[in-house]
Amino acid sequence: MISVSKLLCELDAEGDGLRYDAAADSSKPQISREKQRRPVVVWNLTKQCNLYCSHCYAAADTGTAPGELGTAEGKRLLDDLADYGVPVVLFSGGEPLVRDDLVELVGYADDLGIRPVLSTNGTLITPETAAELRDAGLRYAGVSVDGLPERNDEFRGADGAFDAAVRGIGACLDAGLKTGLRYTITERNADDLPGVVELLHDEGVDRFCFYHLDYGGRGADIADADLSPGAKRDAVRRVCDLTREYHDRGAEIETLLVGNYADAAYLVEYARRHLGEAVAERVYDYLRRNGGDPAGERVADVDYQGNVHPTQFWQGYSLGNVRDRSFGDIWDDESNPLLRRLRHRSEHLNGRCADCRYREICRGGSRLRALSAHGDLFAPDPQCYLREAEIA
Amino acid sequence: MVENPDRHRVGDHPRDAAGREWEVFVRPDGADPLRHVGSVSAPSVGVAYEQAETLFAWCADDVWLCPADAVERYSTHTLDDDAERVPVGPDGDERPRES
Repeated sequence: MISVSKLLCELDAEGDGLRYDAAADSSKPQISREKQRRPVVVWNLTKQCNLYCSHCYAAADTGTAPGELGTAEGKRLLDDLADYGVPVVLFSGGEPLVRDDLVELVGYADDLGIRPVLSTNGTLITPETAAELRDAGLRYAGVSVDGLPERNDEFRGADGAFDAAVRGIGACLDAGLKTGLRYTITERNADDLPGVVELLHDEGVDRFCFYHLDYGGRGADIADADLSPGAKRDAVRRVCDLTREYHDRGAEIETLLVGNYADAAYLVEYARRHLGEAVAERVYDYLRRNGGDPAGERVADVDYQGNVHPTQFWQGYSLGNVRDRSFGDIWDDESNPLLRRLRHRSEHLNGRCADCRYREICRGGSRLRALSAHGDLFAPDPQCYLREAEIA
Repeated sequence: MVENPDRHRVGDHPRDAAGREWEVFVRPDGADPLRHVGSVSAPSVGVAYEQAETLFAWCADDVWLCPADAVERYSTHTLDDDAERVPVGPDGDERPRES
């Protein structure tokens, strides 16, 4: 995750220590005082979802799927994660709210000292649920909305999904839960982005996460709806401009870009053009400390059947299963040559990445997209939109 | 060497809902032992091999695949609800699982 508001507008956030090793300089209470040593774990609690979104990386379905970790198994998994020092668990799905033990698991994680956060489509959140989640210790709810009403409902395969999500967001905010937007940018919804931000900001949302499309699950089926490099560059520039416009008028929104570390290089270039060389150097330094694409290092995924993946988007390959072996043992096992090379990827990147001046802060971007596009784990990310003159 | 361990047979849980899961083993060089390197999801062994080759061809002479549901797993660490205790020791005593 790259915080545009932190890098361009110096807005402090709870993740400054974890993300940039900059806790000492931050005015906000910190998730962690030190740079993250263990991964943030995305746990797909279930494959079941009440919606059927066209870009779902987990290929979630409305029916139940076999082999889900039960409540007791889930608690033992959380014990393992706490023992290993995992700082944050993102409860995801499918739709996590279809499970009736979500509040119990959130509370259990919180009791263990893990920060529980939630990724949801928001449509099942009632005022009562929001209050229960808050009381259980939930720290953040990220609600997916992918366009203005008509476009979002088309994405999500259900009429009324937008209105239901906004009601869910309202319930979370009324309960005092920190709540943000998750928005996957594609060719179909890029133009809706400013309108959605305005509408949800009016509702009281102040955190906005913009995801690039990854080619996992059904995301691979709509790769042709991905933005062209030029359009992607425009969309990221729009996020930067919009962040600065809101801040200039006193609305201190937090904005983040997720899933494409070409954005890191672009932000340095953007800062140099609009804010000067000194700011560009500061931005570069933060991003160097951030460490580039996190797959296999700072983020991990445990799916609903217990398979451990290098990221949540990479569901087709599993490093091991937590029913067989502890999460920490799986994650630490660098006898796996793929995991080892993923963690030392800078030495192996090829093509235009090999000599890119931004290799240190990007680390080649998404290895899954490189694999999908080129059949080569260390080929360039096809979503890199940087110009040759910028990377030389 | 683990002596007299608390070992359990992991239950027969599905490992992939959409297709099949295939355990992947690679041998870096002819004299090396086979090494388990995870699993891939694929509808057939042919597709599983293609995926495994894409991921591991650079480091392996041999790639072996086994359907995940054909593997019997006995482990000293499992969080599986359905894990069965197995006899250990010369008298075949069962030892209770730690909670």
